[in-house]
Amino acid sequence: MASATDSRYGQKESSDQNFDYMFKILIIGNSSVGKTSFLFRYADDSFTPAFVSTVGIDFKVKTIYRNDKRIKLQIWDTAGQERYRTITTAYYRGAMGFILMYDITNEESFNAVQDWSTQIKTYSWDNAQVLLVGNKCDMEDERVVSSERGRQLADHLGFEFFEASAKDNINVKQTFERLVDIICEKMSESLDTADPAVTGAKQGPQLTDQQAPPHQDCAC
Amino acid sequence: MFDCRFISKVEEVLNDWKLIGDSFKKTPEKGEYTTGVWEEKGEDILFADFKFNIKHHYLVQELAEKEEKEDGGEDSIPVCMQDLLCTNNDFPAIAHCLVRWYGLREFVVISPAANDAVISESKCNLLLSSVSIALGNTGCQVPVFVQIHQKWRKLYVGECQGPGVRTDFEMVHLRKVPNQYTHLSGLLDIFKSKIGCPLTSLPPVSIAIRFTYILQDWQQYFWPQQPPDIDAVIGGEVGGLEFGKLPFGACEDPISELHLATTWPCLTEGIIVDNDVYSDLDPLQAPQWSVRVRKADNPQCMLGDFVTEFFRLCRRKESTDELLGKSAFEENGKDAADISQALSKLTEPAPVPIHKLSVTGMVSSARKKIRKHRGADESPLNNDVLNAVLFFLFPDAKSLDGGEPKPSGSNVDITAQTDNEDYNLYSQLKSAPADSLTYKLALCLCMVNFYHGGVRGVAHLWQEFILEMRYRWENNYTIPGLSSGSPDLKCCLLHQKLQMLNCCIERKKARDDAKKAETAECTSYTPPYRTTNESAHSTESEKGKYEVGKSWDSWSDSEDEFFECHSDTEELKENAQDATRKQSTKEEVKEVATLKPDGRLHQFGSMTLLSTGEPLYIPVTQEPAPMTEDLLEEQSEVLAKLGTSAEGAHIRARMQSACLLSDMESFKAANPGCCLEDFVRWYSPRDYVEEEVVDESGNKVIKGELSARMKIPNNMWVEAWETAKPVPARRQRRLFDDTKEAEKVLHYLAVQRPADLTRHLLPCILHAALLKVKEEEIVEDIPSVKASIKRIVSHSSKILRFPSPEDKKIEDIISQIANVEATIARARSLKAKFATERCENPEEKEDLETFVSCLLEQPEVPIIGAGRGVAGTIIHKMFVNAQRAATLGPLEEDPKKPGSSEDRKVMSGTDFPPPAGREVILRTTVPRPAPYSKALPQRMYSVLTKDDFRLAGAFSSDTSFF
Repeated sequence: MASATDSRYGQKESSDQNFDYMFKILIIGNSSVGKTSFLFRYADDSFTPAFVSTVGIDFKVKTIYRNDKRIKLQIWDTAGQERYRTITTAYYRGAMGFILMYDITNEESFNAVQDWSTQIKTYSWDNAQVLLVGNKCDMEDERVVSSERGRQLADHLGFEFFEASAKDNINVKQTFERLVDIICEKMSESLDTADPAVTGAKQGPQLTDQQAPPHQDCAC
Repeated sequence: MFDCRFISKVEEVLNDWKLIGDSFKKTPEKGEYTTGVWEEKGEDILFADFKFNIKHHYLVQELAEKEEKEDGGEDSIPVCMQDLLCTNNDFPAIAHCLVRWYGLREFVVISPAANDAVISESKCNLLLSSVSIALGNTGCQVPVFVQIHQKWRKLYVGECQGPGVRTDFEMVHLRKVPNQYTHLSGLLDIFKSKIGCPLTSLPPVSIAIRFTYILQDWQQYFWPQQPPDIDAVIGGEVGGLEFGKLPFGACEDPISELHLATTWPCLTEGIIVDNDVYSDLDPLQAPQWSVRVRKADNPQCMLGDFVTEFFRLCRRKESTDELLGKSAFEENGKDAADISQALSKLTEPAPVPIHKLSVTGMVSSARKKIRKHRGADESPLNNDVLNAVLFFLFPDAKSLDGGEPKPSGSNVDITAQTDNEDYNLYSQLKSAPADSLTYKLALCLCMVNFYHGGVRGVAHLWQEFILEMRYRWENNYTIPGLSSGSPDLKCCLLHQKLQMLNCCIERKKARDDAKKAETAECTSYTPPYRTTNESAHSTESEKGKYEVGKSWDSWSDSEDEFFECHSDTEELKENAQDATRKQSTKEEVKEVATLKPDGRLHQFGSMTLLSTGEPLYIPVTQEPAPMTEDLLEEQSEVLAKLGTSAEGAHIRARMQSACLLSDMESFKAANPGCCLEDFVRWYSPRDYVEEEVVDESGNKVIKGELSARMKIPNNMWVEAWETAKPVPARRQRRLFDDTKEAEKVLHYLAVQRPADLTRHLLPCILHAALLKVKEEEIVEDIPSVKASIKRIVSHSSKILRFPSPEDKKIEDIISQIANVEATIARARSLKAKFATERCENPEEKEDLETFVSCLLEQPEVPIIGAGRGVAGTIIHKMFVNAQRAATLGPLEEDPKKPGSSEDRKVMSGTDFPPPAGREVILRTTVPRPAPYSKALPQRMYSVLTKDDFRLAGAFSSDTSFF
């Protein structure tokens, strides 16, 4: 049961927490595709051409409003190097959403998407939602992966797809908000399909009663 | 006095419910009353100060297209009157009593709320008159009933009004049956006199009759399943129940009664005789037979009981020590209670004597300890059972005698089965693979709890299990039944802990083996880590060339090193600080280039070092520390607590830099004279940017440099690189302190109370129970059960995914599993009763199987061929046997044998007991009250059981032409 009282959905632990729900999101993808920049753009609205290559795992927090609820996003940024796989995959299981990122100017990072997706399937919670993001779409001159290929791969993997640019702030906010919406949808879906006869009468606050149309204030 | 408010309230309700006016609906199909959907809605109303409840019951039907024949041809009569004559739904399998009695598809009932009852005749009349007025005022054509007298008597009177017509519903309910009502001719007399038909020659009355017979005594069929005999222990089996198997099935017959209904659906008056001296109604000759079975309420089912009992353990508060007697395991108790003491004991240089690993030996030594404290006969588990369980859990124990543990067979199975859907159920339920030690342990504990001493037995086995774990840790024997590698986070925490312990054992063993090899002056090298994949092995042997003769001192468990580690995260921090400190004190950076290469794994393609042109080697590196989910949680909490500030992020990176630093050191050791660029080209290739440039002489050359981010001054990577000394992995400080982790796991195990243990293992038990019902279902092939199992699995996976699910939800799952078990047990019982297996004719067999599966899923099942069909013959035989037994006492003989045909004819009257229920429906269409009135439907239903008799009449009359 994915009710809001479940710990995975970040129940309000104490009164000092200023949110109704907490979602854990992971950004993964090859090294140098721009994960950290993407996160900084979203969380701090800043951009620096070079961030120190992430060691291990790092995170940022952003609280957003969705249908009158405060949702705290705890977004974990991961090191993309092969060597860090075992360390970062351990964190997959706690995540409700993934942003799987490649660099449109780098073929190898795109070819690795399938691999990352397999990693998600192997290590994550089976209801976790994934968005595929092709970053650096501002660098049209150096593009080697067409939008079409990105979209096709996303369809094939069953993910939604965005091209984005952390540098020019294209589709960054939209990506996160769409992911949050998908997570919300999935949550209420799993609430709806639960057999009412067996779930029992006593339940925590449910997301269903606050599910307004999900695209209301979403730019995408 | 009429209560006008009551009348107007009734009118209001009828209006609200839109029951006003006539509607045209199709005549219900045959059986539609049973298969269709019935709905009801209700409201409370007051009559004077009496509270009533008014309810509308109706069959959900699509509105028929208008202009059906009926209303086109004759003056339409209300739907309800058509229903009185319709024979499509006589004797419905499940229905409201008024539906059964009057054949109605729609009606309204007004009954006293709560426990009130309308008893006085004047009040009854008053109520009915009020209803009548309301019906007249509104033009409602739906019949309205009023319930009178005590509720249990189910007495109703009612009325229906249509244009110029009216039907009165009357009822008689008696405890004692007047003789004339026990047969058809008497009932016909009453019916005719009630109609009081003015015509001289009455149109024929149509008759439907049903007799119901009850079979309670199954005679030749004995319920075979006995609860297992718990005292017998035969080679790994207890009472016929093997370890690792769950029991299944009902201990008593889950089918208690069979009801046979023999029906004559369409007789006409005069065709048959049924009076107080003679009857033509032989059930064997009845044209329709149908059967329903009564299920035993809550039959005792083994699997359900087993799991329920196990779940009850969750509520026990006692610790293992309390259950086994304080300090039963004194030494171990101390170890568990005081980790530091345990550590110092372990780090003593004295070598641990390596005994032959024998579970039995261990058991008896553990046993002695217990005995010392409790006296001989008090151990909850007897020795035989305990040994059997331990050998089941640790099948390698025998083969370990005097030798190395072989890779346990279960690991092989694991890879072979991984695609199997059933096998992967563990990841949905967060339990453990079905062949794992954890899963087996759960099953054993469940059985011990049920048969061998309850919670104390559980505590005892758990204590033994922990001893075995410690023994294996101390003696470097890996634990069987666990897939190798890092803990699988998809499994339950306990399983992860055991996997963690196994990781520790593997690493310790590898280290000790290497040490041993060295002291024996062995020239061949044993890899420090046990790696699982083949390629790693081959590369390691290659690497061996460079390792010969190296000292292992730095890897040993010197006390120094041991006490540096406090906890994971501190270790990380410390490591980084340590590194900086060392750098500032020791100036050894310059020596690097002159060092001999050390700790090489293999060459990295054709890449060469930028400065020296030597081949670039990938170093042997330390494996990252395996993590269980609680450690991971702890660690991510620590990381998260540092906050999102730049400073926090920096500390976070620092804390996680141990691995980077270690890899850099290994790299430096393997590649003397290397630079950061070299490292980056292996470790993070995209951070080395290569460009084609034209040099002074006009040649194109490839020039490479670090990426912009690697060139940020004082960034983590540069900093770590400068700090890193050339030290091969095996001489570095361990990133993963297996000794400490192993002790932590052992301590964790030791403090688990039986209740905690149960909670840990509950998912495994539910998993096992689900597999069990699945397995049993496949034998019987019951589609509804298949669907329920699917539902339970998906429901449980939702519940078990989160930590500490509510008890109530767990109970739900258990009771759903028990229900499935009961259904399968019922199917078995029915199959045995109808001997589907022994049926030789394949066609008949199929019919019989269909019949049996229908019995499980439908309330009432018609028998094809009635008394002459396959099932009919069997049922007849059952009744004959029961009758014989009742009249003559037990008889072994097959009733079919000598001179059967004549015998049977004579006997057929007594083949069946007297019917437990006789139902008769009489119908006709007759003008009332005057000969020139409109001919209208008349109906009377009677039911006679052992001590209950009811007549329900519906008599229509013309209200305009009388």
